[in-house]
Amino acid sequence: MAAPDLVIDIRNLTKRFEDTLALDNLTMSLRRGEVLGFLGPNGAGKSTAIRVILGLLRADSGSVKLLGGNPWNEVATLHRRLAYVPGDVSLWPALSGGEAIDLLGNLRGGLDEKRRAELVEKFELDTAKKGRTYSKGNRQKVAVIAALCSNVELLLLDEPTSGLDPLMEAVFREEILKEKAKGRSILLSSHIMSEVEALADRVCIIRAGRIIQTGTLDEMRSRTRTNITATLKRLPTEIHAQPGVHDYSLLGHRLSCSVDAEHLDAFMTVLARHGIETLISEPPSLEELFLSQYDDTAKQAA
Amino acid sequence: MAKLFPGFVPLYKTASRLNARQTAPWIAIITLLCLTSFLAYAWIFPTLTDRQGLAATIGINPAFSLIFGPGHNLLTADGFNAWRSLALGSFFAGLMAIFIVVRETRAKEDSGEAEMVGSSVVGRYTQLAVGVGLAWASSVVLGIVTALSMIAVGGNLTSSLLLAAAFTASGMVFAGVAAITCQLGAYAGTASSMATTFLGACFLIRGYADTSPDTGWALWLTPLGWLQKIEPAGANRTWPVLMAVGLALVLVVIAGRLTSARDFARGMLPTRPGARRAKYVDNVFGLALRLQKSPIATWTIAFMLLGTVFGFLISALGTVFSQNAQIAKLLAAGGAQADPVFEFISTILKILGIIAAVYGVGVMMRLYKEEMEVRVDPILAGAVRRPKLYLSHVLIALIGPALALIISGSMMALVAHFKGVDINSWQIIEQAVIEIPAVWVLIGLSIAMIGARPPVRLGAWLAIVMAFVLTIFGPMFKLWDWVQGISPLWHVPNVAAVAPDWIGLLWLGLVLIFLLVAGFSGFARRDIAIV
Repeated sequence: MAAPDLVIDIRNLTKRFEDTLALDNLTMSLRRGEVLGFLGPNGAGKSTAIRVILGLLRADSGSVKLLGGNPWNEVATLHRRLAYVPGDVSLWPALSGGEAIDLLGNLRGGLDEKRRAELVEKFELDTAKKGRTYSKGNRQKVAVIAALCSNVELLLLDEPTSGLDPLMEAVFREEILKEKAKGRSILLSSHIMSEVEALADRVCIIRAGRIIQTGTLDEMRSRTRTNITATLKRLPTEIHAQPGVHDYSLLGHRLSCSVDAEHLDAFMTVLARHGIETLISEPPSLEELFLSQYDDTAKQAA
Repeated sequence: MAKLFPGFVPLYKTASRLNARQTAPWIAIITLLCLTSFLAYAWIFPTLTDRQGLAATIGINPAFSLIFGPGHNLLTADGFNAWRSLALGSFFAGLMAIFIVVRETRAKEDSGEAEMVGSSVVGRYTQLAVGVGLAWASSVVLGIVTALSMIAVGGNLTSSLLLAAAFTASGMVFAGVAAITCQLGAYAGTASSMATTFLGACFLIRGYADTSPDTGWALWLTPLGWLQKIEPAGANRTWPVLMAVGLALVLVVIAGRLTSARDFARGMLPTRPGARRAKYVDNVFGLALRLQKSPIATWTIAFMLLGTVFGFLISALGTVFSQNAQIAKLLAAGGAQADPVFEFISTILKILGIIAAVYGVGVMMRLYKEEMEVRVDPILAGAVRRPKLYLSHVLIALIGPALALIISGSMMALVAHFKGVDINSWQIIEQAVIEIPAVWVLIGLSIAMIGARPPVRLGAWLAIVMAFVLTIFGPMFKLWDWVQGISPLWHVPNVAAVAPDWIGLLWLGLVLIFLLVAGFSGFARRDIAIV
């Protein structure tokens, strides 16, 4: 079996700061051409992982491969092939936005003039303003434009849309889809579920420095519960005792509960015996998925 | 207070708790300055003959009057302490106050903290009042601590109190100066550099007036000059203190007026819009130049002025020296083999070298600040190797001060030449040039520390203070050579000497190389700051 072409390949990465374990045996990978949603609660280690990938932090143990090379030793060659948008963009107070875009682009080895002009217009950025006079959203735009106007293989985006208004957020999605169509690989850390849902091919969830779940959204959904709401002809008696049933409630003839994926088949058979009048079955939303993941591991940890 | 400045009390309480830790070192330094004079006096000058010798040396060495002003009643420990501590202590007290006011007012507007605070029940003038209040309170605490410690080691009550009052008054005045510059500057950095420049100018004017003949009137031009007129342990005057406190009040009222005339987080001096496209700021070296632009400009101009002023001073003194054979003899007896005027020049150049080191270390500290404010990340996320980024600032930290030193040496030489001082002007420039390796070693320390171990970076400032103390007091306190040799400046030969000893420069070069290697390899290896 040929190994898939991995743009980022992290195995058993551990990073410790003084007395806190920031990354704990983290293993994750980004395939060429995919958008990987990188989710996790605040302080889970997302930015730390990205900073190791960028060679800003040294790994304590484990292996990290970036674009086939070593991110710690081959900074200058590897970084020509990637662009990064930090989560909290701190711009040089005395530099204008336009200067910052040019600087960041040139440090990466040049930028695409046509693309720059196009993006500045689309994101409606006033490039003459000084760094410190920009609002948070505008600072974010500067970083996003600088990242998207260079021809790179890999985009590392750490909460790139925090602070953008919905209009700009839509522009951002459009542009990311364009980048994806060009075959770029994208690591997208985000808290905005709809964004991840719209853009990501796969997601991985990090918690307390470990990856606790990886897969496509469909795969993840199939691993969790389905929400069922049904109106039944005959009042059920034994259904709540079925395996894999949670949050059971019955209001008159209206039943609602959620069912574990592996018990769904058996559950539906039982349900059908009571004469289904109406049935709504919903996959869990990404929010629910996310919350259940955090909850489960929190319980496990406790 | 609560009525005049709504929200003052809770804000002040929080701020003062955080302020204590940052202000304590300043108070400690000034207290140490006073205590060490008492200890040194008893230890090094135990007999009357020693003390008369000391008074004579202080009386004729212009480098001393430049830094400390004239001495009064040097046959007592109080007089010696007042001479040694008044000017320097007032200078440090002023710096302390400036930093407190800027940190508590303007810097908080830049960081956005003040906006959060300002949205609560807080009056228009409250934040300024908190900053100034804190600086004044710190100045008063400084006065109390220094007064008590001086009295505790046997200082005279009146002169100790007056000396301490001078520190307090200086702190109060420069808090007022900073309160005004905070309204003018567009950024906190601008505000504090304007205020410190003003403080530096006051110190320089005072020094010049004390050193140059017939310029005593110039003392009236600066609050530091007024404070000198207190003459603790001498005339023991009180009115200069009152005058300075009065000035402080006036300055703060002006600052209050200005604060209501400007927009929040904007200075009164306008800022121009930026360029839409980058010109020279499209690589790390361009960026480093841009980030360090204003310190480079400020320091270069300052060194040009210092050189000019010192050039005039040399000229004035050259005349005095040549007319007074006894001074020449006394100076020569004090260990100077060369021409007394050149001996003075060499001391001045050493002081300039120490100031140049402050410039260089400041450049490195600015890079560290960039790192702490997460602006190094995006650069290193580009195709930039760490040594290259480090080099871009290290080059400025080394070349900037070296150029400044050469410029001010040249200005000194030029002025001295045209004023007809009987000295080889080239030698002044030469002396400035060979001092560069020593200055680089002091700066190299900060390069090594910020590169390899940033938590100990303040040690670089400590080294500068140490070099200053050793340069000025080492010979006077007749310290052993190995102690004086801790200061890199001690190893710089005197080009006017009969046989200059060049081996010192070789050692300095080796130390410098070691520091640079430590800094660069450290910076390449360590984690970039986590915030």
